[in-house]
Amino acid sequence: MGRGAFHDDSGGETVYETLRNRGLTRRDFLTFCTMMAATLALPASFAPRIAEALEKKKKPTVVWLEFQDCAGNTEALLRASAPTVKELVLDILNVEYHETIMAAAGHQAEKSLEDVVKNLKGQYITIVEGSIPLKDGGVYCCVGGRAAIDIVKEVCSGALATIAVGTCAAYGGIPAAAPNPTGAVGVSDAIPGLKVVNLPGCPVNVENITATIVHFLTFGSLPSLDKLGRPLFAYGKRIHDNCERRAHFDAGQFVRQWGDEGHRQGWCLYEMGCKGPETFKNCPRIKYNEGTSWPVGAGHGCIGCAEPAFWDKMAPFYRRLPQPPGFGVEKTADKVGAGLAAVTGAAIVAHGIGRVIAGGKKEKTEE
Amino acid sequence: MRAVENALGITIPDNARIIRNLITGIQYVQDHVIHFYHLHALDWVDIVSALKADPKKTSELAQSISDWHNSSEAYFKGVKEKLKTFVESGQIGPFTNGYWGHKAYKLPPEANLIAVAHYLEALDWQRDVIKIQALLGAKNPHAQTYLVGGMAVPVDPNSENALNAGSIAFMSGLAKKALEFVEKVYIPDLLAVASFYKEWAKYGAGVGNYLAYGVFEQDTKSNTDNLYFPRGIILNKDLSKVYPVDHKKITEYVTHSWYEYPDGDDKARHPWDGVTNYKYTGPKPPYKFLDTDKKYSWLKAPRYDDKPMEVGPLARMLVAYASGHKRVQEVVNFVLKKLNVGPEVLFSTLGRTAARGVETLVTAEMLPVWLNELAANMKKGDYRIHNSERWDPSTWPREAQGYGFHEAPRGALGHWVKIKDGKIENYQCVVPSTWNGSPRDAKGQRGPYEAALIGTPVADPEKPIEILRTIHSFDPCMACAVHVTDAEGREVVRIKIV
Amino acid sequence: MSAERKRVYAWEFPVRLTHWVNVVCILTLSVTGYYIGNPFIHAISSREYIMGWMRFVHFVAAYAFVCSVIIRFYWAFVGNRYARWGALIPHTSRQWKDLFGAIKFYLFLSRKPPYAVGHTAFAGLVYIIIFILYIWQIISGFALYSLSDHTWASGILGGWLTGVMHLQTIRLYHHLVMYVILAFAIAHIYIGWYLDSKERNGIMGSIFGGYKFVTGKEWE
Repeated sequence: MGRGAFHDDSGGETVYETLRNRGLTRRDFLTFCTMMAATLALPASFAPRIAEALEKKKKPTVVWLEFQDCAGNTEALLRASAPTVKELVLDILNVEYHETIMAAAGHQAEKSLEDVVKNLKGQYITIVEGSIPLKDGGVYCCVGGRAAIDIVKEVCSGALATIAVGTCAAYGGIPAAAPNPTGAVGVSDAIPGLKVVNLPGCPVNVENITATIVHFLTFGSLPSLDKLGRPLFAYGKRIHDNCERRAHFDAGQFVRQWGDEGHRQGWCLYEMGCKGPETFKNCPRIKYNEGTSWPVGAGHGCIGCAEPAFWDKMAPFYRRLPQPPGFGVEKTADKVGAGLAAVTGAAIVAHGIGRVIAGGKKEKTEE
Repeated sequence: MRAVENALGITIPDNARIIRNLITGIQYVQDHVIHFYHLHALDWVDIVSALKADPKKTSELAQSISDWHNSSEAYFKGVKEKLKTFVESGQIGPFTNGYWGHKAYKLPPEANLIAVAHYLEALDWQRDVIKIQALLGAKNPHAQTYLVGGMAVPVDPNSENALNAGSIAFMSGLAKKALEFVEKVYIPDLLAVASFYKEWAKYGAGVGNYLAYGVFEQDTKSNTDNLYFPRGIILNKDLSKVYPVDHKKITEYVTHSWYEYPDGDDKARHPWDGVTNYKYTGPKPPYKFLDTDKKYSWLKAPRYDDKPMEVGPLARMLVAYASGHKRVQEVVNFVLKKLNVGPEVLFSTLGRTAARGVETLVTAEMLPVWLNELAANMKKGDYRIHNSERWDPSTWPREAQGYGFHEAPRGALGHWVKIKDGKIENYQCVVPSTWNGSPRDAKGQRGPYEAALIGTPVADPEKPIEILRTIHSFDPCMACAVHVTDAEGREVVRIKIV
Repeated sequence: MSAERKRVYAWEFPVRLTHWVNVVCILTLSVTGYYIGNPFIHAISSREYIMGWMRFVHFVAAYAFVCSVIIRFYWAFVGNRYARWGALIPHTSRQWKDLFGAIKFYLFLSRKPPYAVGHTAFAGLVYIIIFILYIWQIISGFALYSLSDHTWASGILGGWLTGVMHLQTIRLYHHLVMYVILAFAIAHIYIGWYLDSKERNGIMGSIFGGYKFVTGKEWE
């Protein structure tokens, strides 16, 4: 420890050496590199380059901070398959601090973190999970008596790169939902000016974490980001435009009730409120749990969990459009609109009748 | 969700019930195993000591406790080599600064090596078996197919876009794999480790009252009491009587919590009338200690009939045991016999950890049963997964209230809802970690964590591994309790030394 | 009041053209747009392409509408006195007087119908508001279109809005404003018909042929 995390000549084990020592064959290793190339939306011809990079690089040190979170992204990490969490945590990364999975606790745990921040300044990767409350001096989330905002500032400012995993760390997520009692924000809002790679999702598809790190190791730079700080390789396209049910959308075949014929036949969930048309993420392609399933594939619409303010803005989850402000929950935009047209019609009728009466009066007075 | 179904009087279709049981069931199995190997085992297992193990002896030991296939000398030699390379690399990642070499570790090197091997095997295993939930819930964690009124996973044996025979076969394979690992790895390891730490049957009892809402519905009635793991309460460690649960007797105090109630913080409130007005009065960070005479926690203090209750696998297993649940009694008696101890040891840190194992086994045995139920419904042509009668909010009454019971892996979870004009007027959750991690109430009664730590001996106050053993045995909710544990853990240590 | 009537060429060709293009576009956009938001026809087989066509027609109509709005915008600078901004934006004291007069008339508070050779002040103001709503519909529409169409055109016409407002908010108001425009259209036709029947000034015919009949007094 204490050596540079990414120095080619540091004398420590490279990622590939570790994997080999742990019984991974060269073939397995290359398969892994190819999968990473695919996740990064790169042509397979990049696999050798990734392999080369991993063969030379020493295991990067990672600290994983948790704040206002549910450890859902940690759980997601445990489900990683390519590479598996075993390879990820033991072989590819050097995870020095992670409240949930580390063996140390209390003072010992805090010491691990202090050591990294002190000895590996500018060389470690920080992964943040959970939002950071800013209200009232940050009292709403303290770890070991320290406010989350103080910890995140100290750790991230010395980090080589900061990755915000999950929607909470990226945009505040559920803790930031109205009325946001704790003043929760994502990392990039907590530390303005800090370059953060946002990997939103609830939870994040773990392949996107690995791919971001591998991208970094392979190309020596962070992936290209969109205006919300998300890597284009994973958040460049709408779910709707990559969806396996898209053909049914274009055809006009929609699920209208849970369990109806269309639902059983895998038709489009648009009318059930699917938010695929307003959500950018690669779920349809990489799915969850080693490609086992994903919400739309399983039969439930997307709820837009990877978008900013999804809890407030994507609601109601089972309708296409949000609630028109100032109306009761039963009033959809269409009902409000139809009401408006009806009011106009009624006004016209009233006006017509009014004119007749007024006209009658006028005639009378003229008489 | 159950609370809303209860409020609106919705009965879900049978398939939805089965799917929910399967999701909950596999979650228990996977979560408990992860908890044992990855969050709790390192309190008992010294991985550094495993380097001293003799692979041959390890293999003999492994074969003596189980016929699991990964038990050859070569296998353990491989694991040891890998561990050696890993430790020598200097980058030991998450194992940095563990309490390695602490004298409270009692397992021989060989047992430690077995545990390390299974720590690694369990990592792969859990990823696989949880796919049952990923298939039924769209993803794991955070299943996304639950609906008020049923589930959003279609069932149709003649469609490739719905649960069909292929899905049943896929899940059956995983269920089998789940059960095999529990039978041949988890339970034998649990017994082996427990046999070295029997003195932990004396510590960590806690409050002695146990509450279980019960779980695994066997019919579709809202909040049915026809449950595979029954509902009930055990008071003062007395297994001779199981009291019924009345949700109206559940209240929450905020006397020592950073909230305020409109009519005084010393009066408890039922969740339907629950109020969550936060008011932080603790020290400004950074701080070292919290003053437990004042308010000191973000958790409210739930009480049943004004008594603190422990919830979780131990509570569920005790209620099942005392209610005469045949299979639970069998497995519990088997474990007690193996360890050569009586049922009184159940009320302890060890009992809590053992009960989790018992529950895992009994639940894993049920997975194929539920899969068969689902297949039987398919065969009958029953594809219903959702009751849509009350789907549209315009069909709702103007006002309604309801409650829903569930058992999360770590314990009793209750939701209370009041609905007005199609909107939630009040929603209160009383979650397992608030029961277990509860601060003191108006009468000064301690919650289970606090009570359980009293009398726990700590060999080295700087490295209080004993505290971890007891706190971890509860399976604290990682999100909310880890911070509480830390703050309170230090506090309790201080009391002990003085 | 003089009964002498004059025939005046009020609406030049581009004004009439854009008016009718707008009518066709608004109807098309409303029907297809409503379908896109709430698909009321359900395909019975995967061979169909209903949503696909609806969206295609919606997008084509949207481009036509943009062109029409641009032409009308341009004509407000170069057209005759009735087509110009001055006739639309109330800025003279007479226009303000007319405006309140018209409001009184529609609320039965006065018997004097609003009248002008071109737009009445009241109508001018309403058209300005409607014009702003058109621009909102174009920007918000292209903002939504830019989600799948990454061209510079949709970026300029509305793509930038996605960084300012939440997508669902854009969608909601794109949808609601459709109803506002439809409500306007209903009232617009009624008032036109009503004034025509009241004044016999050929206002309904004028939008076809361009000519209106005015009495000498109003023709100042």
